[in-house]
Amino acid sequence: MVARTPTRGRGGGGGFRGGRGDGGGRGGRGGFGGRGGDSAMKRGGGRSGGRGGRGGRGGMKGGSKVVVEPHRHEGVFIAKGKEDALCTKNMVPGEAVYNEKRISVQNEDGTKVEYRVWNPFRSKLAAAILGGVDDIWIKPGARVLYLGAASGTTVSHVSDLVGPNGVVYAVEFSHRSGRDLVNMAKKRTNVIPIIEDARHPAKYRMLVGMVDVIFSDVAQPDQARILALNASYFLKAGGHFVISIKANCIDSTVPAEAVFAQEVKKLQADQFKPSEQVTLEPFERDHACVVGAYRVPKKQKAAA
Amino acid sequence: MPENNAAIGLLWEPKLPVFSSASGSAKYGNPSSNNVETSALYKPSSELIDGLFVAPNDPKKINKLLKKEIKDTAGKSWFDMPAPVITPELKKDLQLLKLRSAIDPTRHYKKGNSKSKTLPKYFQVGTVIESAEEFYTGRLTKKERKATLAEELLSDRNLGAYRKRKVREIEEVNRPGGVAKWKRTGRKRRNHAMAGKKGRH
Repeated sequence: MVARTPTRGRGGGGGFRGGRGDGGGRGGRGGFGGRGGDSAMKRGGGRSGGRGGRGGRGGMKGGSKVVVEPHRHEGVFIAKGKEDALCTKNMVPGEAVYNEKRISVQNEDGTKVEYRVWNPFRSKLAAAILGGVDDIWIKPGARVLYLGAASGTTVSHVSDLVGPNGVVYAVEFSHRSGRDLVNMAKKRTNVIPIIEDARHPAKYRMLVGMVDVIFSDVAQPDQARILALNASYFLKAGGHFVISIKANCIDSTVPAEAVFAQEVKKLQADQFKPSEQVTLEPFERDHACVVGAYRVPKKQKAAA
Repeated sequence: MPENNAAIGLLWEPKLPVFSSASGSAKYGNPSSNNVETSALYKPSSELIDGLFVAPNDPKKINKLLKKEIKDTAGKSWFDMPAPVITPELKKDLQLLKLRSAIDPTRHYKKGNSKSKTLPKYFQVGTVIESAEEFYTGRLTKKERKATLAEELLSDRNLGAYRKRKVREIEEVNRPGGVAKWKRTGRKRRNHAMAGKKGRH
C-alpha cells in the first residue's frame, strides 16, 4: 500500500517520508547492530546517528484529511489520502511515542479515536506487512514476547496491535535504549519491559507467561539459538514466531540468500516450522522476515 | 385502581407523568418484571403504551430488539471500527480515493481494487496531526486546511492546470466531427428547417 516505490538513500522517498534519515546509504547509525541497541548486545550504543530526520518535502501534511480503513491484518489500519500509510489505533490518545504522525478521528457519536502512523523504514514488522507477509499472528488479544525491543518504537505499535486485552513482553539488553523502552511502557499498560539478556531467558522466566507469538529482532549471529531458547521457555505448542534476519550480522562473506537458507535450516532443527519468508527489500537491505509455527501438533487422523 | 383501568386506551386520557405514582405500573396491560432493564430501548412514540415502553414478553423479540441496538462495526479484530452513514460528500471522497491515480501524474499507487466500484463499508475520516518538529515543514496552514478530501485536492494549484489540460484533451477527442463554424445553431437551425419545408410545397 505504499504510494510510490520508495528509493533508498533519500531518507525514504514516497509515502513514508523521512524514514531512517541517513542522508545517503546507511551511515549514521551506530555500529553493526543496525537498530539502536539490540538485545543481547554488550554495548550501550545505539542511536548515534539520531534517527528520524523526517520532514522532507510533501508527505502527509498535518491538517490534511485521510480515510482510515481496516487492513487485511487484524488490528492494522491503512490511512488513505494523497498517499497511503500504515497505522495502528493509539492506546494512549494524544501521545506520540517517537514523534510520528497521528491521525485523529471524530466519530459520529462524538467520541474521539486516534491512530498512529507506522513507518516501515523504522519498523521491520511494518516492512514485513508491506512486503506482503501472509500472517503476522500478532493480533488483538495476543500475548507477544518481543526480543530486541530497542527503544520501543515497534513495541509501541505491537502494543497498539494487541490492544488492552493483550500483553507484550519486551526484552532489551541495552540500558540506554531500555530507558526509552521503560518510559514508553509507563504509558502503556500492556507492555512489560524487561532489561535482560535474551540469551538467558531463565533470568526473566518469572516475569513472562506463556505467549502466543515470539517476535525476534536481535540481529546476532546466534539469533536462531536465542529464539529457540526463548521458545522452549515461553512459546506455547502450536504458537508462532516472526524473526527478522539481517544477513550481514550472521555472515557477511556469503550472499544474503545463502544466509537466509542457512538460518531457516537452523530453525527447522529446533522444532520450528517456517512457513514463509519475505524480503524487506525496499525498506531494509539484505533483510528477510521468516514466519512460522512452533511444535506444531501432528494432524489428527479423523476418528474412524 | 379500578377507575384507572377503565381509562386505558382512551384518547382523551390526560398524559400523566411517569413518576406520578409508584403503584401506577399495575395499571398497564401486561406489566413485565424486566420493565426496568429494557426501558432504555428506543421505540417510536406511536408504539408506546401510555407514553411508556413495555418490553415484549417473548424472549425472541427481546433478543431481536437488542440485536438491533448493536451498531454495525468491523468487529473486535479492528477494535470495532464503525460503519459511518454515507453522505454524498463522503461518497464523493471515497470515489476520489479510488480514482486518485488520475489526479497527479507524478504519483503512482499500488493497484488495490480501484477497478471495482464497491466503496469500503467500515472506515473513518480523520485529520493528520503533525509532530511538533514538523511545524514548519509538514503542516498545512489554516487557509490550506479543508473540510473534505475533495476540497483539498481541488485547492491544489499545480494539479489544477494538469486537470484542466486533461479535461480539454478528453473533450476534444470526444467532440463530434464536422467544422464548428458551419454548424447551424439556435435560431438559424429553425429558420433553415422552415425554409426547407416551404420549398417543398
